[in-house]
Amino acid sequence: MSWSEIQPLLSQGFLDTLYMVGWSTLIAVLIGLPLGVLLVLTDRGGLLGNAPVNKVVGAIVNIGRSLPFIILLIALIPFTRFLVGSFIGPTAAIVPLAIGAIPFFARLVESAVREVDKGLVEAVQAMGGGTPTVVFKALLPQALPSLVAGLTTTVIVLIGYSAMAGTVGGGGLGSVAVQYGYQRFETSVMIATVVALIVIVTAVQLVGDAVVRGVAAHRGGAAGGAAGASGRLARLGRGRTVAVTAAVVVPLALIGYGLGTGGDDKQTLKVAASPTPHAEILEYVEKNLAKKEGLKLDIRKFNDYVVPNTATESGEVDANFFQHKPYLDDFNEKKNTHIEPVVNVELEPLALYSKKAGDLKDLTAGKTVAVPNDSTNEGRALHLLADNGVIELKSGAGAEATLGDVTDDKGLNFKELEAASVPRALDDVDAAVINGNYAVDTGLNPSKDALAAEKVKGNPYANFLAVKDGNQDDPRIKKLAKLLNSDEVKHFIENKYKGGIAPAFGPVGS
Amino acid sequence: MRPGAAATARHLGELQHATERTAPSCALSARPAWAYGSPHTPTNNGNTVITTQDLTKVYRTRDREVTALDGVNLHVREGEVFGVVGQSGAGKSSLIRCVNLLERPTSGTVTVDGQDLTALAGKGNDKRAGRELRAARGRIGMVFQHFNLLSSRTVLGNVELPLEILGHSGQERTRKARELLDLVGLADKANTHPAQLSGGQKQRVGIARALAGDPKVLLSDEATSALDPETTRSVLQLLRDLNKQLGLTVLLITHEMEVVKAVCDSAALMKNGRFTESGTVPGLLATPGSELARELFPVGGVPSAPGRTVVDVTFHGETTTEPVISKLSRTYNVDISILGAAMDTVAGKQVGRMRIELPGSFEDNVVPIGFLREQGLTVDVAAVAGSPGLPVPDDGGRRGPEDVRVEEGAK
Repeated sequence: MSWSEIQPLLSQGFLDTLYMVGWSTLIAVLIGLPLGVLLVLTDRGGLLGNAPVNKVVGAIVNIGRSLPFIILLIALIPFTRFLVGSFIGPTAAIVPLAIGAIPFFARLVESAVREVDKGLVEAVQAMGGGTPTVVFKALLPQALPSLVAGLTTTVIVLIGYSAMAGTVGGGGLGSVAVQYGYQRFETSVMIATVVALIVIVTAVQLVGDAVVRGVAAHRGGAAGGAAGASGRLARLGRGRTVAVTAAVVVPLALIGYGLGTGGDDKQTLKVAASPTPHAEILEYVEKNLAKKEGLKLDIRKFNDYVVPNTATESGEVDANFFQHKPYLDDFNEKKNTHIEPVVNVELEPLALYSKKAGDLKDLTAGKTVAVPNDSTNEGRALHLLADNGVIELKSGAGAEATLGDVTDDKGLNFKELEAASVPRALDDVDAAVINGNYAVDTGLNPSKDALAAEKVKGNPYANFLAVKDGNQDDPRIKKLAKLLNSDEVKHFIENKYKGGIAPAFGPVGS
Repeated sequence: MRPGAAATARHLGELQHATERTAPSCALSARPAWAYGSPHTPTNNGNTVITTQDLTKVYRTRDREVTALDGVNLHVREGEVFGVVGQSGAGKSSLIRCVNLLERPTSGTVTVDGQDLTALAGKGNDKRAGRELRAARGRIGMVFQHFNLLSSRTVLGNVELPLEILGHSGQERTRKARELLDLVGLADKANTHPAQLSGGQKQRVGIARALAGDPKVLLSDEATSALDPETTRSVLQLLRDLNKQLGLTVLLITHEMEVVKAVCDSAALMKNGRFTESGTVPGLLATPGSELARELFPVGGVPSAPGRTVVDVTFHGETTTEPVISKLSRTYNVDISILGAAMDTVAGKQVGRMRIELPGSFEDNVVPIGFLREQGLTVDVAAVAGSPGLPVPDDGGRRGPEDVRVEEGAK
């Protein structure tokens, strides 16, 4: 990708990251700070020594800290929707980010406040100060440098967490890196994003350190003594300036940005899609075909396969385009949703590739074959191998066949890998079953390089446009369905994906 | 022997020389004046400002109990400097923290300036101090061994802190804080931070801060223990000056006898959570067998030969100016050997201590020893020829003053 293509991705990602991280930090501080102080005060021997409260708060904090962020992100969906009315987009991502950061920051606050000399607490008490006086006049001011250092760490952790916000369409630099760099092998985008992230994290750390030095400068210790009074004052001034500027400018910028992202057009059709190829196909439609039909598209990209469906079900988006029939049927049944396919668009045929074997016959006993590890793709891969006589499957093995269903493996070893990682493993195994889009992204040509490939015709794994049941007749949906099955789109897919993704138009079979 | 406590023969010679010239001016009295309550200290007629009654403090951990205070009865009179001495672990720290209820006593009462603080403390496990207790604490100043100044504030800001708690307005705070800094001699350091001060200066800030609430009582928790000897002297001098100028009552705890010697009007010795001795310093010095007196003022020297009686004699008050030893020698025609002697200033008074040796057994010396007692000296028979374990004879009325208690086990 050229710089002119990367640049808008980066600046949008940067704004999204700033927006999400800024707000979630603010919330994490507002809630985490009192929690951390409460943990110290209610501890045994603390000012408010209250074992039950301490245990409960401590347990909540520990639970919050032990949940992997991605789980938290999904688990919090109902809460997020209740709070901000939607669970997708950058604003909604703030909720799980903040909730993930609160316990983290609370623990940092706790350890910072614990460091404060107990003698100071005693001195304030001896003066007749109550608990609030102790907290606001002694504990917090004394712990300020450690608190700022903890805040810096929290911001950096949040920048890391925000990479996962792509799951709920939050965007941000991290998800740009994952979408383009990891899933589409756009190394240049990945490098650019990673560099941008490094720059941001470094800048945050530098500012944080400067503020810590600013507030700690006059407090003595190693640095304080040597510098002259004027130097100290100057540094103090600079630290304060940085802190005040940051405290004023960042929230203002965030608020401005938050307002900017608002606005909802009834005419616009919101479509959730996987970044590749679905969103690209939609973008092609939007740029070249939609205007003529008077259709406006708002394309939301998701790395995740659960959220687009729940978002469609709840009406956050009008349609989605990322899945195939076996997946949707399973989803509808398990989640009790009512998503219905509208029209097939494309197929990402699975194919077996090898750098070592020239023919299927070369896959003899002892050789290793990599397959995707998710239920759908693994089932597809095993069926592909069985159809070509490489292995034998139990009769009646369904779409989600697993290695346990293999009745004769012909002495082959299998390695199960995440679908996007399989092409990277091609050099390390004798053969691999790879999704068409990933194969093309790594430079493989499905029509030339594959030892065996799925058939396009009648393939149940064709990806389609889907809506919540009842919306099939929305005129906007009808327009989009027509455009997605147009000749222009057919040419676009054939030219762009070169066989890795094949047009598979037409109604969805049952 | 403690440094500075030793006196040479030359000192004693001067003492006797000086006393001989003024000798006739002082009439002998049956009991020394200080025995009725010292006229030299402001404790005379003083009301008791700090009282603890049967104060106990027991720390309970999961598997054991530690008794830090075991029935302490403390009486600090208005305007005096009272020192509690003891080794670490004796319970001094618990005691001073119980006085302003930083530690909740297990039982017993604490009264400060007529107010029963134990009655103000909350009930049960609620460790929070109520409004009244906090107000009472505001009227009790406290200084700490490690100063406990806020590094986040300037010197001025530190002194302003208690004024903020008391609810003074901004201008009023600054004015008063500057006044206090002036009082402790740190007016020029108002805008520096504690980190830039020496230990002695930090403690002066601590003292200024403790005075912010115009307290009647100042509690000093090992205030000079982290300071070098010279700084210790200047900080103690400041405490003494404040005591004199402001009529401030000071309760201090320390493990250093020098501190008691330098500033205390009264003292108590603490061991295993109890006072084993307490009283005015002159009273203690006048008490035979007082461990505090011995610690405050040790004299050494071993008998030159068997068959002799060793007597420790303490001079204080007017007696320091009496030529008693030469009188004794002349009157009874005995040869007196001086085994050891020391002169020092205790609580601003000259005090002398001497260990002398008389020929013959205790029985042979009953009359000379009686003579020394009649002169108003404190006489302690340290060793008696032939019967080393012989108790000091009780001659009634010759004991120390009423306000001195030497409890069992103190010797």
